[in-house]
This record gives sequence, C-alpha cells and structure tokens, in this order.
Amino acid sequence: MIAAVSHIDLQTVTYALAAVGLPLVGAVINLLLPGRSGKLSGWISTLAVLLSAALASLVFGRVWNHDALHVQQLWFTIGNTPVNAGVLLNNLSVFMLLLVTVIALPVHLYSTAYIKPEEQNRYFTYLSFFCFSMLALVLVDSMVLLYAFWELVGFSSYLLIGFWFMRDSAVQANKKAFIMNRIGDIGLLSAIIILFTQYHTFDLVQLFGANGLIFKSTIQNGMWIASTGQLPEVWQYVAFAGIFLAVAAKSAQFPLHTWLPDAMEGPTSVSALIHAATMVAAGVFLLGRVYPMFNDVELNVLAIIGCFTAFLAATIALTQNDLKRILAYSTISQLGYMIMAMGINAYASSLFHLATHAFFKCLLFLCAGVIIHEVHHIKEEHQLDIDAQDINNMGGLRKKMPLTFIATLIGCLALVGLPFTSGYLSKDGILIQAFEWAEGKALWFKIIPVGIFITSGITAFYVARLIFKVFFGDLKLKEILPNVNLHISDGSWSFRIPLIFLSICSLFPLFSFNPFSYEHAWLFEGFKAGNYIGGQSIYHQFIPISISVLSVLIAYWAFAVYLKQRKLVLSPDTFLFKLSYNQWYIDAFYKQVIVKAILLLSHALYWFDRTVIDGFIQLLQQITLFLSGLAAWTDRYLVDGALNLITLLVKGIGNFFRGFQSGRVQYYLFSMLAAVLAVFIIKLLI
Amino acid sequence: MIITLTHYLLVSAGLFSIGIYIVLSKQNSIQVLIGVEMMLNAAILNLVAFGKFDKVNNAGQTFALFAIVLAAASTAVALAIVLNVYRRHQTIDPGKINQLKD
Repeated sequence: MIAAVSHIDLQTVTYALAAVGLPLVGAVINLLLPGRSGKLSGWISTLAVLLSAALASLVFGRVWNHDALHVQQLWFTIGNTPVNAGVLLNNLSVFMLLLVTVIALPVHLYSTAYIKPEEQNRYFTYLSFFCFSMLALVLVDSMVLLYAFWELVGFSSYLLIGFWFMRDSAVQANKKAFIMNRIGDIGLLSAIIILFTQYHTFDLVQLFGANGLIFKSTIQNGMWIASTGQLPEVWQYVAFAGIFLAVAAKSAQFPLHTWLPDAMEGPTSVSALIHAATMVAAGVFLLGRVYPMFNDVELNVLAIIGCFTAFLAATIALTQNDLKRILAYSTISQLGYMIMAMGINAYASSLFHLATHAFFKCLLFLCAGVIIHEVHHIKEEHQLDIDAQDINNMGGLRKKMPLTFIATLIGCLALVGLPFTSGYLSKDGILIQAFEWAEGKALWFKIIPVGIFITSGITAFYVARLIFKVFFGDLKLKEILPNVNLHISDGSWSFRIPLIFLSICSLFPLFSFNPFSYEHAWLFEGFKAGNYIGGQSIYHQFIPISISVLSVLIAYWAFAVYLKQRKLVLSPDTFLFKLSYNQWYIDAFYKQVIVKAILLLSHALYWFDRTVIDGFIQLLQQITLFLSGLAAWTDRYLVDGALNLITLLVKGIGNFFRGFQSGRVQYYLFSMLAAVLAVFIIKLLI
Repeated sequence: MIITLTHYLLVSAGLFSIGIYIVLSKQNSIQVLIGVEMMLNAAILNLVAFGKFDKVNNAGQTFALFAIVLAAASTAVALAIVLNVYRRHQTIDPGKINQLKD
C-alpha cells in the first residue's frame, strides 16, 4: 500500500503524523519533568502545539480540495480478515486537524497565564495529551483506532474536568462526564461490531469512501443486503442507534447532554477547548465520517433531536446565573444546530458551523475566564463571600476591561448570528437549508425550521442578557466594596493575544469575502455535495434579514428590561421560569429515576452479595473447617496413635531385653545356665 | 554295698551343683572362685571314675593330673585378678562390679 504513494504525498503524511505526535511528545516530556517545573511545562506544550499548528496548516494547504490521501499498513489479521492501521487525509480530516491545532494554540498560550505555575506541569501534561487524542482521532482510517482515540478523548477530558480534584463538585462532574461518555462508547462499540459483522472491514475508506461498501448495500424485504453478507434490517437501525448514542454523549445532545454544564468545574481554559474544538466536535466529526450510512428515517431522527436539543438548551440558558453555565448551554444549543444540519442534509453547513462556532465559543470562554479570574482575584483579596461566576455579581465591567468587552461582544454577535460575523454565515446557512428542506414535505416537518428559528430568537435574548448583566449597568462590586479602589483590568498579554486572535477569527473575512452569503465561504465550498444547487429561493433573502431584525429587536427588549426598567421578564415563581432554571428537571429526573434505580439495584446486589454469596462462601468455609477438624482428629488419634503404638511396642521390647544387660556377671551366668537347661528340657520333651 | 560308677557320677553331679550354686549366689569373688574349683573337681572326679575303663594306659588319671595343674594355674591367675579388682574398686563383690553395663 505504501509503495503506491508518491514521495510528496509521503512527506505530507509524515507532516500530518508529526502534527499529531508533537502534542504527545509535549505530554511525555511534561510527564517526565519534575512537578515543580512550573512555567517551563507550559512553554513546552505551547511550542509543541505551535509546531503542530504550523505542520497542520502545511498539510491543509496540500490536501484541501485535492484528492484524499490514504496510507495504511497491515496491523494484524483476524482469521482471514486483515485489519489495517493508517492515516486518511481528506477534506474533513485536514480541516479538523487545522481547526483543533489553531484553537488549541491560543488556549495553550492563555493557560500559561491562567493556571498557577505550581499546577502547570500536571495541567499541561493532560492538555497536550487531550490535544493528541483528538488529533489522532481525526486522522485515523480505521474504526478500531477511531474507537481507541474516542476513548482517549473521553479519558483525558475526565482528567481535565477533574483537574481540581480537591473539590468535591469537580470530582462529581468528571465522574458524570465519564459515565455519560461511557454510555456513548458502548453505542459506538456496538455500531462498530455490527458494521464489521456486515462488511468484514474496519476501514473507513472501504466502508464510507466513494463507491464504498455502504453505497452498495441496500435494504430489501426487511433484509440489509451488502456484497459481503446480509443481516435483518433492524441491525442497520441498531447500528444507527449506537452511533447516535456515541454522538449524543460526546456532543452533548439530549438525552445525554447533562454532563457538559457540570464539566464547567474544570479550569475555564479547558472548557474553552472542550467546547470549541476537541471534545464536543468529536461527535459531529464522527457523524461526518459515517454520514453515508444514514437513511432518511435516521436523518429525520437526527434533525428532530438536534432541533429539540437546540431549543431545550437555549431555554435553559435564559435563566442561568452562572456565566460559564450560560455558555455551556449555548454550546449545547449550537451543537444541536450542527446535528440538526446533518439531519437535513446540510452536511457542509454543519461542518462550517462547527468551525465558526469553535472560534467564537473559544473566544467567549476565554473572555469568561478573564472576567472570572479578575472577580475571583478581588474576592480573594477582600475575603468576600460571593460566587465569582455569578453574573449578578458583575455588571459595569465594560469600562474596566475594554478589550474583554469588545471580544465578548464579537463572540456574542457571532453566537447570535448578526451580519459581518462568522456566525452569521454558518448559522444562516443552516436556517436557510432547514426551510428549504421542509419545503414540499408534510406540514409537521415545518416544526424543525420554525423551532430552530425560534431558538435563534431565544439565543439573542440570553446573549443580550449576558452582555448587559456583565458589562453594562453599575459596577456591582463597587456596591459590595464601596470604599475600595478596584483593580480590574484585561490582564496580561498572554490573555490579550488569544482574545485578539480569536476575535479576528470570529469575523467574516476568515471564511468568506462576501459577508452576506454562506455559499461563497471557502469552507462551505470544500464540503458541499457535488449535486448542491445554489439556492435562489426566497429564503435566501428573507431568513437573514428577518433573523437579524428579530435578534436586534429581542436584544433591545432585553436591554430595555434589564437596564432601563431593572426587572425580570418572568417572575421566579412562574412555572416556565422554574422549568428553565432547573434545567427542565432533566438532571433531577436522572437523579430520581436512573441514579436512584441504579443505587437501589446496587444496594440489592450488595445485599445479595453479602448474604447469599458470602453466606454460601461461609457455608463452604464451615464445611471445610469441619472436614479439616475431622482430618486433624483422624491424624492425631488414628495415624499418630498407630505410630505411637508401634513405638511403644518397640520400646517395651527394648526395655525387656535391656533388663538382661544388668552388668552383673552372676546374672549372665544364671541366664546361660537357664538357656542350657531350657535346651535340655526341650530335648527331653521332643 | 558295692560302689559303682553311678555313685561316683552322683557325687560328682552333687559337687557340680553345689559349685554352681556357690558361683551364682555368693557375694564374694573368692567364694565364687571356690565354687569354680568345686565344679572343676567334679569334672576331675568324673575323669578318674571313667579311668577304670582304661587300666592299661590310665589315661583318665593322667588327664586328671593335668587338669589339677591347670586348675592351680588358673586359680593363681584368678586370685591375681581378684587382687587387682580389689585395688581398683575396693570391693570384690561381683554384683557391684558392673562397669560394662552401660
């Protein structure tokens, strides 16, 4: 296989492998360094990811919009089925490669200032390992390897979410994230097993490539027929369910989304990375990889779930007070957009939104990190009893932190999808295609575009609420500490450079020279299907204008409500508010039903273990003890007794004969006489 | 009453038995030696008594003389031993001289 690849291609593959390997090298070096190495670890990891990003852009330049590169080698053989390990470089993987490294770079730089020097060694070991897992995940060409790195991504995110493992909440959060991801892993594993049973290969190219096995298989008369075999139709749906479960767990879709808000217990820089490019992107990426296998029913399921998740998360974000939690729910909502876009055949728009979202969400989290950092600093300095992440304690930070304000504003505008931002391009693409997709279908299909449209409005509201509460109005900290001159600033250059970089990336020029048409974005063009027809429908004008106007109106309404009138839209007593504030009671439901049921089951099993299994063991123990007691008795009294009898006999005989050896000559003589007499008497008698 | 060979043999047997009794029961080595001598003399008496069947060579009487001489020699040796035993153990009771026992 290797021999067929030309020299230049081999070089490209080598670069790609180096780009993946460098963060691993960084992680290993940090692992070997002593724990006190402090800032040095940070710079090692940052350098590794910088080189990795450079190599990734080189690879990207060579592969993007060219033929896919696929290099593999025999890994092992099961029976007659060879399993290959290799690298697949196509548009999707080089795009992800570049995205992950480019997002990771500012996060690394930011972390060198954000994390305390004494914790940096451990932190950067985990972070580099996390990047490595994700980069390897996007490059591999085999389902087995994909699964392995899928697990590693989950594992390293577990380490990072629980980075401050002294806090109980962090430990709970990383356990939750890990367990939820395990549920997804089970799904992925079963899907891989089913695909292997059907197609006898793990190779992504053979399965999903052009003219791959997936395209040649059909469903007829309730059978799923492929050139390599056939299975009942239901297995195709089971495989889909497995893939969906995996995607839902990693990309935080309903019903497995609850781990993501809790994952806020990790350092904010980690949240930025998880939410932007590494962890949650893995789910969408997986969908992109296995996209050809879905049929219409399954795509509809994806669309419905995505739309519902987007709506659900947006409504929850409306009432949350924790800055990071609002952003977390906005991430879930945006991921819902991406999943829904996959479901409505807007493959290119979904990945486009993944890219733009990565930049502006990373930006928003880093901004949130700066704000929390400053508020936390003041809290520590003045021994305040406030929550550093509560937006009710902020307010009026606009003048104190101008750069952070502008960066947050850009991020928020992109999140809402207002013109001149990258979010506008990608989000409107999804909306327009959603409306076009529902055209000519049954009426209830309209729920999805309308739902997503409403969600956009809700997004505008909670984003406006966030901005106004944090940056506008009076300085709340001043009210708490009236007599103190507060030192709040944008922080060091290690904070500012990532913010500036990401702000620029969140604007339209990076993606398209035409700020109003997503179809001209180069990313979109790289992914769109061959038969994509440039839409000329009315939606292309109607949707962007209406969504922008709606967003602005809603934002103004929020402004009026929160700043002018200083009141709440809904009183905290109403049902809707409670529903939103308590996150639709999904967590409570899980806790009450699933966790309790599992705990009950485990208690029952514990009881069973204690009484039945242990009881049985104890019974065995009793029997064994009795038997051994019996054996001991037998040994002591029968075996030893026989031996003692023999010795006693021998001793007696010995003593008997010893008695003759008295040493007295006359006795000897007497016995001689007796013996002679005895002989004579015997002679006489015979 | 005619004295026959049987009478001689009876006297000899009685003498031998007395000798044995002395040897086995006395607590004095010299008395034991006397017992030994009596047993020897019982044997010599037998030799002399049976000597009447060889009147030409008188072999029985001759052999008896040899035996008497040898008995005297052995008695001399035995007395010397008894004397040495006494020097060593301050006793000539054969029951107390039992060092070979252990």
